Amino acid sequence: MRYQPNVTPTSRSLAGALLLMGLAGLAVPPAGIWRAPSGTPPDSAARARALHALNRLTYGPRPGDVDRVVAIGIDRFIDEQLSPEKISDQALEQRLATYEVLKTSPEQMARVFAQAQRQQLQQRRERGDSMRPQPPEPGMMPDSAQRARLRQDAMDNPLRRLLGQYQQATMARAVMSERQLYEVMVDFWTNHFNVFIGKGADRFLLPGYIEETIRPRALGTFDDLLIAVAKSPAMLFYLDNAQSVAPGSEPPQLARLRQARGRPGRMGFGMNPERAESLMARAEERRPKGINENYARELMELHTLGVDGGYTQQDVQNVARILTGWSINQPRQRPEFVFNEWAHDHGVKTVLGQRFPAGRGMDEGVELLHALAKHPATMRHVSEKLCARLVRDDPPDGCVDAAVHAWERTGGDIRAVVRAIVTSPDFWAPENRAAKVKTPLEFLVSAVRAVGASPDTTPALAMLVARLGQPLFGQQPPTGYPETRESLVNSGALLQRMNIALGIAAGRAPGVRVDLDRLALPTADIETLVSAVNKTVLNGTASANTLKTMRDQTRDLSGETARTMVVGMALGSPEFQRQ
Amino acid sequence: MTCNGDVDRRVFVKAGGLALVSLGLDPIFLTRAAYAVQRAGGPAAGKKTLVCIFQRGAVDGLNMIVPYGDPFYYRERPRIAIPRPGANGGALDLNGYFGLHPALAPLLPLYQRGELGVVHAIGSPDVTRSHFDAQDYMETGTPGVKSTSDGWLNRALVHAKDHAETPFRGVALGQQLPRALRGAAPALAIDNLQTFGLRGNREDVRDRLASAFEQLYQGSATGVVASSSAEGFEAVRMLKTANPTQYEPANGAAYPRGPFGNAMRQIAQLIKSDLGLEIAFADVGGWDTHVNQGSSEGQLAQRLTEFGGSLAAFTRDLGDRMQDVVVLTMSEFGRTVAENGNVGTDHGHATAMMVLGGGVKGGKVYGRWPTLDPAKRFEGRDLAVTTDFRNLFAEILSGHVGTADLGAVFPGYAHDPAGRLGILG
Repeated sequence: MRYQPNVTPTSRSLAGALLLMGLAGLAVPPAGIWRAPSGTPPDSAARARALHALNRLTYGPRPGDVDRVVAIGIDRFIDEQLSPEKISDQALEQRLATYEVLKTSPEQMARVFAQAQRQQLQQRRERGDSMRPQPPEPGMMPDSAQRARLRQDAMDNPLRRLLGQYQQATMARAVMSERQLYEVMVDFWTNHFNVFIGKGADRFLLPGYIEETIRPRALGTFDDLLIAVAKSPAMLFYLDNAQSVAPGSEPPQLARLRQARGRPGRMGFGMNPERAESLMARAEERRPKGINENYARELMELHTLGVDGGYTQQDVQNVARILTGWSINQPRQRPEFVFNEWAHDHGVKTVLGQRFPAGRGMDEGVELLHALAKHPATMRHVSEKLCARLVRDDPPDGCVDAAVHAWERTGGDIRAVVRAIVTSPDFWAPENRAAKVKTPLEFLVSAVRAVGASPDTTPALAMLVARLGQPLFGQQPPTGYPETRESLVNSGALLQRMNIALGIAAGRAPGVRVDLDRLALPTADIETLVSAVNKTVLNGTASANTLKTMRDQTRDLSGETARTMVVGMALGSPEFQRQ
Repeated sequence: MTCNGDVDRRVFVKAGGLALVSLGLDPIFLTRAAYAVQRAGGPAAGKKTLVCIFQRGAVDGLNMIVPYGDPFYYRERPRIAIPRPGANGGALDLNGYFGLHPALAPLLPLYQRGELGVVHAIGSPDVTRSHFDAQDYMETGTPGVKSTSDGWLNRALVHAKDHAETPFRGVALGQQLPRALRGAAPALAIDNLQTFGLRGNREDVRDRLASAFEQLYQGSATGVVASSSAEGFEAVRMLKTANPTQYEPANGAAYPRGPFGNAMRQIAQLIKSDLGLEIAFADVGGWDTHVNQGSSEGQLAQRLTEFGGSLAAFTRDLGDRMQDVVVLTMSEFGRTVAENGNVGTDHGHATAMMVLGGGVKGGKVYGRWPTLDPAKRFEGRDLAVTTDFRNLFAEILSGHVGTADLGAVFPGYAHDPAGRLGILG
């Protein structure tokens, strides 16, 4: 049985209601209308290729991007995007200059964190615990009162303010950067080397991780990136390697304390000796006493070889032993990498058949990481992931082979590997176009770009990503977010996308300012309106059904309301969910 | 109008199925549509509901259901073991050999009343210690086979004998449909019933937006899902009248704050709303305790407090309706018998699962205990698996849900009647 609305409202009352609800466009006079670059209309095959390249190598076309790419030629566009250092990015840089968090060092972040904790503790004492604003449950939207409280709390809490800024900066880069492929690759590696911002010290270590570990190497070489990640305080903390020590090892400070025990005056001023004893016992209790396999396993399973990469449980343990001593120098004061010789297991180890003789130190870990980085299983596993991101969920062998070949040839130069993928026949095969469903981040950023808007200077846009189910840096397990369509498409998620699409079109989505006049002027001529929106927002991809629906559903509406509905339907359409 | 409730829920019911097809999902999702056409049953009364809880991250079964009677337990866990019953912070005795973690105190009366049963040393025959592979295997119900695309719970829906035609047959509380519920039968992921609520919008506006998006997603679906039935819309209207924001748990049940308590509260609400819910699914995370997992108190204890408190509140809230409900908890594997160097535990093998409900023959710890003797351990290190998880899952499907064709739900698994646990009698 087909569903039909029971009530067919009169056009007048419906239009009025839509207007009242804010579905109508902004009440500003028409400004400059976007116009396609002049010249002869390029052929549709070239446009289709340009659109495909923009869908996969960027966060989606802005109005006019397809024509620009056609005009300069796709090869040149790809070359440019693969050399982001040569692309000027002034508008973004101006925006980023306003974010204090990007000028805050990891040491300062650590101090702010400690300060925020003290402050919170004091506030809690003063106000009583119940008054403390509770952050919303993951995936739940706070109501407006909660939002107001959270805002207030964020202003009171300098760490939250900085982290809110960091989310804004992340969204601003995705939407505004001209170095789009670079930003796509930053997102890829951030997800590949996932760190969860909700885990302890990672709350303040994460911005530094992205800025100093991932971003400088997103188009560098894989082994350099892998080693930088292995040494990053954020990863060392997230997967517990900072705490992995050789059994029986003891930090020199503790040994000194132990010797000092019993000598008066050495345990701290004014501290009663019993309390000092109990503190000491507690420190002793919690002190790392052996290896922790967590990072070693995920290093091989997720970061390098892949789960079928041929390693054994014995290999996991030996990798953990090799990496004992790789730790963080005072995580809460000076969060930087340190190798603790005292914590290192100096015995003989064998990993994947390679023998690491006794008596070595940090160098064996570096050697191991180099070996993992260039292992054939790693080349294949990471190439498959790259192809799944750039080509198709189930990556075709051809482009994976091309990527592996480029990897072998260049020693893991990420730029060369990406170039091999995007120039492989598989990348351009018609069946792989529009074959991927956008992730929440991709959907939202592409929608903002499609209407030619910019994010405002609030964290609201990042909160919308969270509402769509993949909060920035909010994935707890080390797999990162899934990106196959099976995991992205379900009724609830689609409903949210439709709502956000309408919100953006109506100029009511928090975090983004939209000027619909750039897309199409309000007009009573539905044909003109629909075809303008199809051109500017959907780049001519609307199906016959979508075009018909846009016409059917807006025939009885006023110009502005109709425009809002058509843009909302375009962003919420099946075509726009794909890339 | 706000951004969270503009489109009518009927869109989500209808366009949900449509959208899957129109976004080019695998043929399996087309069979879903065809399947929906074939099965137009009437609403079934007194329907049984199975609630599956996935403890993602591999719960430490040995500190959740404590084998305090096993001498090796205390030897291997000097810093994290739960003391014997009677001691300060001690386990809560179940049967003279096993005890509950003290943070699970709210579950003890359920065990004593015979509504809660435990299966210990249960797990997968596959040897992986990868969370992600092991979760996949447990959700597809085909350990060691990576190519299975649908989940065992979805196959259970496909092979159910009769059912009401509602979109609420299989519901996962969360933002993603878990692999266990993916497949040909319709299943929903609902993050929060409240976010489907509409705020002060006019009916005609909602109808307009609804019909617009419905039409938008219908075209590419070539009408196969036009079969979303009248019962489906009836269910949606029922959900609407259930008024999620006004829900008051019964019998003074107090759900713990947090996502898991919320999920259980909403499952209770769906069950009481008689929407035809057959299988509900919820995740609860935070079990990957590599560092400082604590003992009677600490990290694991906190997770168990929320876990046990939510299950107990759910039971209290549902009251007599627990006769028609079985709650099954599961986790991808257990953790090492010995504590690691960081007062935590690493990835292990077998774990413990719980079965809760009015029809459960509880008050008993099921399964053969392999002991923690190093000679009896899996690879000399982990608790060995003596019960294949499919044994328990199949028993619950046949005994509670009424699934006849277990071979179709667990392909390649020969269900051994001799290995029957008898946990549902």
